[in-house]
Amino acid sequence: MAFALHAPRVNNNDDIVQVIAFRVAPGDLVKKGDVVVDVETDKAIVEVEAERDGYVLKLMCAVDDKVAVGSILLWQGDSADEPVPESVAATPVEGGGGNARPTAKARALLKELGLDAGVVPATGERLTLADVEAHMAAHGIRRRDQTPAVAAPAGESLPDVPGDLVDLSAEERGMLITVSWHRDHAAATYLEVEYDPKAWEDHAAAYASANKLMLSPLLPLLAYRLVQLVKASPRLNATVVNGKRFQYKPVNLGFTVQAGETLYLTVVRDADSLETAKFIEALGEVQRHAIQRKLSREETSGATIAFSSMARWNVSRHIPILPPYCSLMIAHAAPKGSGRAVLGASYDHRVLSGFDVARLLMDLAKPPV
Amino acid sequence: MNLDRDAIKAAVRAKVIELAKSLGMDAGDIGDDDIIPASGYVDSAAILELVVWYEGEYDLPLKQDEINIDNLGSINAMADFVLKRKGGG
Repeated sequence: MAFALHAPRVNNNDDIVQVIAFRVAPGDLVKKGDVVVDVETDKAIVEVEAERDGYVLKLMCAVDDKVAVGSILLWQGDSADEPVPESVAATPVEGGGGNARPTAKARALLKELGLDAGVVPATGERLTLADVEAHMAAHGIRRRDQTPAVAAPAGESLPDVPGDLVDLSAEERGMLITVSWHRDHAAATYLEVEYDPKAWEDHAAAYASANKLMLSPLLPLLAYRLVQLVKASPRLNATVVNGKRFQYKPVNLGFTVQAGETLYLTVVRDADSLETAKFIEALGEVQRHAIQRKLSREETSGATIAFSSMARWNVSRHIPILPPYCSLMIAHAAPKGSGRAVLGASYDHRVLSGFDVARLLMDLAKPPV
Repeated sequence: MNLDRDAIKAAVRAKVIELAKSLGMDAGDIGDDDIIPASGYVDSAAILELVVWYEGEYDLPLKQDEINIDNLGSINAMADFVLKRKGGG
């Protein structure tokens, strides 16, 4: 029986992905884990892997197509000559409906999600709300009222100066989404402490020497210390959803990486479960992937806290924008030759108090004993 | 890909100079045995760019634990490591 590979949800904010390349063609035998399609979101290019062994039966979209998350990218089968189900033999994002007629509630939800009925399997004669919700759960699709939206000012008039309207790049759209969440959802506040960087520099130098590291471990060690402090104070690792506190279980660390013109928020998942050396290795991996533009879905989503340094650019202060569903982002700066350094934090005041954050920054300013 | 040792050294040197220049530094006098991270010409982010370039240039995927001073710490070390991994050294 044929089985489908669906477009993955890469970021909470992206309901659409664009197909960049197919690595396979009909007739190819692929193994579970083989990369079969490259898709692009507002933030990254992601490799989509086959979820099962099987022959590629049919590609359901073309390169450059924009498809809804959860729609079918391709069909596979246990043999190369299996028929593809006719009810979904169309590119889902703009295609027609499936066999099962949706109920009114299901239709309303499909419309809200931008999903075509043909991509959602029905359990009965009609496609029900429960069918759509099961499909959402299986593919990590959220309702729009649970995802931050880019609010376009209604009726915004053009400036009274000659010029052209130009589409934003994928990276610019991603940043717009982040900035819009920060503006529309978070009660973003900022505070900072100055500290003497010598103790941290000595700590990092000793660690680098002992481990013969090529890259200074100063920022990774600071980030790891942050993870450990948040692990010890779980209330720092939370957000607000629909008026309730959402307490994260893992500590997923977001870490900004500038790759050429693009700023990525890379993510080390379950950072609280890693030992120091493993954490530094994991962070090194995602940094390399960012520069190579080969970040996976897991490496670009799900940050619960974040860290950003602009020490490289010699700035004295920067106030980060909070990524969606992230209530705390540490900002590190160390102006050259000043003998001082700064640890700041943008934080969501709906979740954290100034006292929480000030105490965290003071602890973070000291390396572990 | 030119696996001549002098060619590798010249390419690595040129990349280090390019990265240093982007940070406003002139690394023209960096020595073949100078420890690159300690030279002051490039910061960690630039070294990361150097490593990624090196992997691509010489088709040499690196494990994270191979990225250390012994293997990649200097221009000579980087040239030797390519040749060792490619069976030419």
